[in-house]
Amino acid sequence: MSLAAWDERLAQVTALAGVRGAVVVSADDGLAVYESAVDGLESSDVAALAAAVVQRAAELGRALGHATLGLCTLAAERGTILAAPGRDGMWFVVLADPGAELGRLRLLVGDLAPEFS
Amino acid sequence: MHTPPAFLALGERLRQRGLIDAALAVAEAGAARFPMLAEAHDLVGRVRADQGDEEGARRAWLAALECHASHAGALKGLAFLAFRRRDHAEAERRLEAAVQAAPRDPALLRALDRIRGARPRPADAPPSIDDPASGVLLASGDGLRLGGYLDARGDEAAAEAAAAMAAGVAREAERTARLLDLGAWRHVLLEGNAGRTAILPMPGGVLLFSRGTSTPAGRLLTAAERAREAARAWLGESP
Repeated sequence: MSLAAWDERLAQVTALAGVRGAVVVSADDGLAVYESAVDGLESSDVAALAAAVVQRAAELGRALGHATLGLCTLAAERGTILAAPGRDGMWFVVLADPGAELGRLRLLVGDLAPEFS
Repeated sequence: MHTPPAFLALGERLRQRGLIDAALAVAEAGAARFPMLAEAHDLVGRVRADQGDEEGARRAWLAALECHASHAGALKGLAFLAFRRRDHAEAERRLEAAVQAAPRDPALLRALDRIRGARPRPADAPPSIDDPASGVLLASGDGLRLGGYLDARGDEAAAEAAAAMAAGVAREAERTARLLDLGAWRHVLLEGNAGRTAILPMPGGVLLFSRGTSTPAGRLLTAAERAREAARAWLGESP
């Protein structure tokens, strides 16, 4: 996928109300591979921390019998992180405020994530 | 292609004609001859259920699950028995597992709709931590299992492993929420081909709540909150 196409995918998500930013993360090392600005935060921090949660969750998922994971969500008082697996160990990670449309965001993240590789 | 042994069709025909004793003789002889064939035990279960022998039927269907953990017929049978004794939570959980095994079976989907419609209001039916079918697992902050199972068969080893890993997820969730200034974490929701699992913080530990993919995410989270309340009470009562 070209950089312009990645930009376009990220823009589809960050255009939603309440979305603070989006990052494509390499789950193995927690590095941000591609990012849009994450409002008020360092994208690299979001990437590293989200990757740590995703790794642990994937480990638990395997123990629970999941051959494939679709979506991992961390909900907190002042925000929600959604992460969905792309290809080749990439994860698409989105940070949203509490007022964001989570239902729509879940669909979009799940649809777009497989395109990142 | 594998041809099912002839006794299965014969036993089922006898059962449908009401020749229950003959059907049972055929089914039990077949199950003895093919002890690893889930369909044989499933047939025994159906005949026993027709006889009104619920314990015998339950044993047979559990034996079928030993042979084939996601056998839809056995899961449906166990759901039927649970429904009969008004254990709607187990009935729903068994049917969800059956639907996962046979997602296009319209009879199973109808049965699941019926059981959901017949189920008491959620607030009236808190999950039982001690019931393997409840799908609730409690772990301490350092990953020791406090109680519950994630598997209707009550697999202790799997529950211990899941408890250890869930504590790791909780630690990372807490750290991430703190360092990104997101406040206290409320849950981690994990969704995959095998179902949905919510991980919720509890005082001194973590709760896992699992359901099949047919349970919507929002409903799962609502039920998980209720399970946490039940777990708090259970921990207060446990030795």
